[in-house]
Amino acid sequence: MTQTSALNGIRVVDLSTSVSGAWCAQMLADFGADVALFEGPVGHPVRALAPFDDANNSVIAEYVLANRRSAVVDVDQAGGRAAIRSAIERADVLVSNGSPAELAAHGLDYDSFLSSNTANPGLIVCSITPHGSTGPASEHPGNDLTAAAMSGWASINGLADRSPLKPSGLQSSYCAGTMAYGSIIAALLSRHNQTPHRGQVIDVSEVEVMASTFSPALLNSQYLGEPQARQSKVDMSTGPVPVNDGHFALTISRPHFWRDAMNVLGLDDLADDPRWATSWYRKEHSEEYVDRAQAKLAKWNKMDLFDTLAALRVIAGPVLETDELADNLHLRDRGFFRSPNEGGPEYPGPAFKMGASPARLVKRVPKPGEHSVEILREFAGLKKADIDALLASGAAR
Amino acid sequence: MTGPLSGYRGIVLTQAWAGSYATQLLGMLGAEIIQVEFHGRPDSWRGSYDRPIPETVQSAAGASSDQHPWNVHANYNSVNLNKQCITLDLTDPDGIGIFKRLVPLADFMAENFAPRVLGNLGIDYESLKVIKPDIILCSLSAFGNNGPWRDVPGIGGTIEPISGMSSLLGYENGSPLNSGQMYPDAAAGLNGFAGIVTALMHREMTGEGQYVDLSMQESSIAFIGDALLEERMTGNVRGRLGNRHMTFAPHGIYATSGNRWIALAAESQRQWETLCRIAAHEEWVTDPRFVDNAARKTHEDALDAQISAWVAAQERDALAAQLSDSGVIAAPVHDALEVADDEALRERGFIVDVEHPEAGIHPQAGIPAQFSNTPAAVQRHAPLQGQHTQNVLHRLLNIDEDEYRDLLDRGVTGAGPSN
Repeated sequence: MTQTSALNGIRVVDLSTSVSGAWCAQMLADFGADVALFEGPVGHPVRALAPFDDANNSVIAEYVLANRRSAVVDVDQAGGRAAIRSAIERADVLVSNGSPAELAAHGLDYDSFLSSNTANPGLIVCSITPHGSTGPASEHPGNDLTAAAMSGWASINGLADRSPLKPSGLQSSYCAGTMAYGSIIAALLSRHNQTPHRGQVIDVSEVEVMASTFSPALLNSQYLGEPQARQSKVDMSTGPVPVNDGHFALTISRPHFWRDAMNVLGLDDLADDPRWATSWYRKEHSEEYVDRAQAKLAKWNKMDLFDTLAALRVIAGPVLETDELADNLHLRDRGFFRSPNEGGPEYPGPAFKMGASPARLVKRVPKPGEHSVEILREFAGLKKADIDALLASGAAR
Repeated sequence: MTGPLSGYRGIVLTQAWAGSYATQLLGMLGAEIIQVEFHGRPDSWRGSYDRPIPETVQSAAGASSDQHPWNVHANYNSVNLNKQCITLDLTDPDGIGIFKRLVPLADFMAENFAPRVLGNLGIDYESLKVIKPDIILCSLSAFGNNGPWRDVPGIGGTIEPISGMSSLLGYENGSPLNSGQMYPDAAAGLNGFAGIVTALMHREMTGEGQYVDLSMQESSIAFIGDALLEERMTGNVRGRLGNRHMTFAPHGIYATSGNRWIALAAESQRQWETLCRIAAHEEWVTDPRFVDNAARKTHEDALDAQISAWVAAQERDALAAQLSDSGVIAAPVHDALEVADDEALRERGFIVDVEHPEAGIHPQAGIPAQFSNTPAAVQRHAPLQGQHTQNVLHRLLNIDEDEYRDLLDRGVTGAGPSN
């Protein structure tokens, strides 16, 4: 019999408190792990993030806390803390955003779970923090803004005469969450391939993940001895420029893209001159062509130009907004938008399609504590009387 | 190789950024990665062979006096650490024959050609599966392996706009922008890495291989998925927010003395009040415009003006350190050279000095995850073009020196421009 989920039977304790950890746990859940979210009495912090729908549901929580069950357990109460420890001791994977000091304050430091005499030497602990769990910045707070600043990304995004610009939205959170997910799977593979099966601690720094995605600009700057700067102005070779009904990027790479695109724009002299075939030459002499080409571009509607270039197999970049993407026939044809099996809005995703073990989207975000009793029973291994006592004391809800 | 993926082998046709970054992450975590570079159609991130080598690269510390343009491009050398490189002309019957002999020796394969290329070469997933039934193949293409746009090419610079990312990147009330380098490739690389390890896990559990179909457009959308879901749930089309946050204020990047910039934010009232104390503007705490996060969000222009005026005379690093040590979200905006010099990143072993035989010694971004029991390490510089052809063909296929010389003479393998 073939299982269709890669992570069938993998039990995950989700102690995430930010988007990066929540996204990591989301991917684990999407590929079949059984994920229990333990949230405090005030609820997972992403539930408080804007925007909200008419029923006051956080859109971000809907996106990054789906597919799992929720228990509300108070880590600041002894009974709650013991229940969480018990769940971790019975789990395959722990995902946490806590800094070393925060974890120690709650009696949840990783070493106490992985020392050799504990019951669960196969536990894989994944720590995702702004700066990593060691080093001089390990207790410094951080978010997507500071990861953009310290990784170098903000220094190259935006325009030279304006401020540095962070990547939009939650990029460092999604990148770090994805890196953490892949690292956890690598550790599960390592555990599978070793005898005895041993777990480990994985330390993921959001700044480092973003600096990893920055690596080409970092090395180019080293090779040239000066930091890559923000562009002084946008032209068609670097980003979107105005067209009749929006914006369009024509970041040409290969020679035939250039030739065909210039022919479409009616600039035959540029198409035919072999000097323009290489990108380094175009970059160094861009002032000789961009104004002419952009004047031609400005007359086109973005999707007409895209369709014309696409028929010639030339790369082309119309700027689409989120409502246009939701209506996009290519994405619809690929089934990219899908609602949870148990109902709910259309989600985009997944980020990649797996032929044999596809991502699943079963349920939308749980209500806080919707599954407290079953999680305390199945994950923490508690008896009914103990669960009742936790609920009565307010340590669980 | 060391690391949690030690023992796995990938034979990969990855090139440029997205695919190369995905397989670099696998190599960094210990998998043996052998890049098969298409002799005659080289990895575009090695640059044009007629591109002049910059003076700074020729004179770099440890640089060779014998440099080849295809071995000293920073793009290629930044995303191919921990790999070996062999070259084969895949349009030559002997070249494709050797490639097919390598397939059974791979746990996984990856490529980021346009979708029709593998089929044209006779090595699409169905063909590979005949050679090795449990093979894993991950394709990273612009728009995925099916659908009406399947055969439309794309690169990061066009995927960023057509995935919606550019519509969200920019200053408030400004035009849509692309990133300073082609960010969708990085997002796709991370997801390709995740897809391949997931497929390895599935194979370990079931014995079954599979095809992983990654569309760069889709993996980019997944990383702005909350904006797509917002449109579905509320009808709102999100625009550009500059450095602002949808929930918290302050949240921005401000100019300091010396033409530098600092990022700072408050996500709690405690952080805000600490910031006010450090700014010596305790009157902000009780100012009705700034009294709580909702008020600050409403009056964010006035708030930013006040903070800008205060920060303008401050020294970037001292202020960032003071705020961070006090629990306020803050960081210096580092340029690319400062990232490489960052003490904390070096102390943690993330930034490593890599010696490349032609380009010399340069700091590079290392491994973005640390493993306590199976530590991973940067063990190889990005390979020279074809550096490992003879070794790999001998080690894996028992091709002897005479046979290798013959392949070289006939242009089935080699470095630089093909004859």
